[in-house]
Amino acid sequence: MEVKILSAKFDIKDAHTLEVAKQHGAYSRLEKLFSMEPVAVIEEVKSSGLRGRGGAGFPAGLKWSFLPKGLNKPVYLTVNSDESEPATFKDRFILVRDPHLLIEGIIICCYAIGCHDSYIYIRGEYTTQVKALQAAIDEAYAAGYLGENVGGYGFKLDVTVHRGAGAYICGEETALLESIEGKKGQPRSKPPFPAVEGLYGCPTIINNVQTIASLPYILENGADAYKQYGTEKSPGTHLFGISGHVQKPGMYELPLGLPILDVIEKVAGGVLNGKKLKAIIPGGSSTPVLTPEEAKTVTLDYESMAAHKTMFGSGGIVVLDETVDIVKLVENLAQFYHHESCGQCTPCREGLGWILKIVKKILKGEGSMEDINLLVELCDNIEMKTVCVLSAACTMPVRSYLNKFRHEFEAYVKKGASAQADVKQG
Amino acid sequence: MAEMVKLFVNGREVEVESGKNLIDAFKVIGVEIPHFCYHPALGADGNCRMCLVGIEDGRPPLVPACKTLVSPGLKVQLDTEKIKKIQRDMMEFELINHPIDCPVCDQAGECTLQDYYMSYDLQDSRMTVPVVAKGKRMDLGCGVVHDQERCVLCARCVRFTRLITKTGELGIVNRSDEARVEVFPGRPLNNRYAVNVVDLCPVGAMTSRDFRFTQRAWFLTKDKGICHGCAKGCNIYIDHNREKYKDDVIYRFRPRLNDQVNGYFMCDEGRLTYHAENEGRLQVCRLEGKDCLQDYAIQSAKALLGPKALMLVSPNCSMEQMIAIKALSEACGAKLSGYSDGYIKTGDGDDWLIQDDKSANRAGLALLGIDCTKETFTGLLNGSDVLVSFNNDLFVHETGNEFLQRLEKIKIVAIATHDGTLIQKASIAIPVASYSESSGSVVNKDGLLQHFVRAVQKNVLPLDMIALCGTLGGPVATESDAVNEMKKVIPSLTDMIPEGGVKLTASEAAHVPA
Repeated sequence: MEVKILSAKFDIKDAHTLEVAKQHGAYSRLEKLFSMEPVAVIEEVKSSGLRGRGGAGFPAGLKWSFLPKGLNKPVYLTVNSDESEPATFKDRFILVRDPHLLIEGIIICCYAIGCHDSYIYIRGEYTTQVKALQAAIDEAYAAGYLGENVGGYGFKLDVTVHRGAGAYICGEETALLESIEGKKGQPRSKPPFPAVEGLYGCPTIINNVQTIASLPYILENGADAYKQYGTEKSPGTHLFGISGHVQKPGMYELPLGLPILDVIEKVAGGVLNGKKLKAIIPGGSSTPVLTPEEAKTVTLDYESMAAHKTMFGSGGIVVLDETVDIVKLVENLAQFYHHESCGQCTPCREGLGWILKIVKKILKGEGSMEDINLLVELCDNIEMKTVCVLSAACTMPVRSYLNKFRHEFEAYVKKGASAQADVKQG
Repeated sequence: MAEMVKLFVNGREVEVESGKNLIDAFKVIGVEIPHFCYHPALGADGNCRMCLVGIEDGRPPLVPACKTLVSPGLKVQLDTEKIKKIQRDMMEFELINHPIDCPVCDQAGECTLQDYYMSYDLQDSRMTVPVVAKGKRMDLGCGVVHDQERCVLCARCVRFTRLITKTGELGIVNRSDEARVEVFPGRPLNNRYAVNVVDLCPVGAMTSRDFRFTQRAWFLTKDKGICHGCAKGCNIYIDHNREKYKDDVIYRFRPRLNDQVNGYFMCDEGRLTYHAENEGRLQVCRLEGKDCLQDYAIQSAKALLGPKALMLVSPNCSMEQMIAIKALSEACGAKLSGYSDGYIKTGDGDDWLIQDDKSANRAGLALLGIDCTKETFTGLLNGSDVLVSFNNDLFVHETGNEFLQRLEKIKIVAIATHDGTLIQKASIAIPVASYSESSGSVVNKDGLLQHFVRAVQKNVLPLDMIALCGTLGGPVATESDAVNEMKKVIPSLTDMIPEGGVKLTASEAAHVPA
């Protein structure tokens, strides 16, 4: 099932160095790139159907075409390498094992959109990754693949790595821009969208690492070759991080569209120790959970996920076996999103903390059935009322657990009630 | 006139000014959109989410009104169940971690949270878990006291220090429900406009050390006034209260919107000038250092008027008072000066509201052609037997020996609002009403003529300076006489002075009668 497009050089020793990377084709597409018109590059990417790999799955070529034309302002490309979504571990492989693939992708994108200053926003915790990435950038500058005259083709391009300070919210594209500008990482309200008014008030394209790293293949082999993989509406391959209760957790490159249960069984070796499957988080912690029954018809692509009222997300699949306590899982989840809420807007700032406290109350056996109903209502009250979608990243999965595993919450409530009754009787 | 736009609110077609956001545009036509963080002077931030409104057939269907400009045909929904529920929900979120300590909160009675609870919420609390504890009674500097638990994180105060004073002392630290307004350690609020954050704060999170716990907001009568702290003439509210059996007392000044003068703000010094209206006042007439009856003091003063008298006008007198004094001086052949250099603190002003000139109506002196130079004053003083001061406290600016010796030799009549050195030196002292106790007009440094009316009603009515001029023999004895005279000086002034003031033309401002 596995394919090697993005991960082609992952297993080659020292492929992160320019020398080895070049032996395996790095920067070989520049000649073709600079022989094309930028518009033709955008058209190629558009027709490849490449969708943003950050989680939302917005078509990359379409995003680029939103840039206003004829503005007398610089255009920026910002590569989102914040990879903070719990259960997501894909970009980090590119950064460490094949950073030149990313740099080549940046050159392709920048040429297409007319950008001469690109930023890579990388999360602060990625110390190994930032070292590898910076070393590769330094090598690329030294070899003339970045700088005043990229590859000798007369194109100027500077790439700057900006390290975050560990806030999940800085993966949200406008908070990321604020952070690069040296401000507190808080999302901006939209519109204006970054393509119109982004970094330093200039038109800005923000793409995920994996999206950009997919470009060299598309440029070299053409859109049709890329579309061989995946489904019609979700073409190409994706780096999936499979974790949780499976025999062989890890990062696998797979074409989109495979049945999720097949992947868990055949790629990841099935549920750990032969236990029973309880649930699957399909694409990072913020995606609504799937029951085994639902998972039977789910395939790993944007459309199938949407049809099952969940999201493709970031490709971080978490397999949960029968031993998992869903209420404790929700506590963990709420803890994370509450802690990471930037605190800017009211519903998220106050609401997520309230949700967390109610879950803790239920866990302590002090909850009531009204508390469970209140949790569901709070999810509705918070969601889509906020500046950004961080609150939805919490409320969407929490609502799914409440709906699909309500009996577990009720069990805590009943246990608590009977314990209290015992105390009274005793 | 601004261009008008037709759109719909709750299905009703309305016409509003273009270029405005929904909150401002609808406010004009009497439709309130609740909001905490938006403020016209600070712009839209969009963080409180209280102003979310529905847009029929809109994409997205739900928008913050503060960030949405009016546009033709827009169908805004405010009264749908969905929007009402959102407003209730936002109020619930604002209140879950709020201490709800209204009985001991200074803001009670003028609190947006309270008002909105009554208008948009009215739900019982569903909060059954512990609230977030934050800092209380924090001294942020400049007399601003902060209560983090009452704060709704609207960031108006933060934006004020960043956008308006550009001093940036305030910031929001921490994330999530631990977010709080703070100053940097050892770097408190340090600007001359800091107390404006108390007015900007929609809740009781920012309170004024000077005002807090002195009066309940609902006991205060809020009258319009003009600050007399400097030549800017900031528009203010004079908040005062006359408790039963007690005298009328001013408890605070607050800025009042006038786009031509001060916008929404005023300086901290000007704000505190109300203290001088309450304290240190000259209460009774004095003759040779002893209290005396008013009539006796006035008759004694009248006997001293004549060609050997020099009348000294304060640059804080109103136009009407100046006119009456000038008429009096002409009637009795006395000389007249507006010398008041001591009211000018060179270098104290800034490029915004605070002026070097700490008097309210120096432009009025020029308008009436009253000479203000020291040379003229000294010359006139040397030829005089009597100095009649109309609330001009000479000792603010003159302490030189030569000057003091000269004053020893002449009689001083002090018609004054406040006790002070001049009163001690005066043979006759007559208390008069101050600006909060009388009405009048002043011209600010930009040539804007502004009118103010009496706010404070003292138990014992202080003497009106214009009436006093009449009693002393002046031909202008009432305010209406003075206004008629003023219309001669300012030809364009044919009617009442409108709220917001009248900008004098350059030729009027430069007008010096022969």
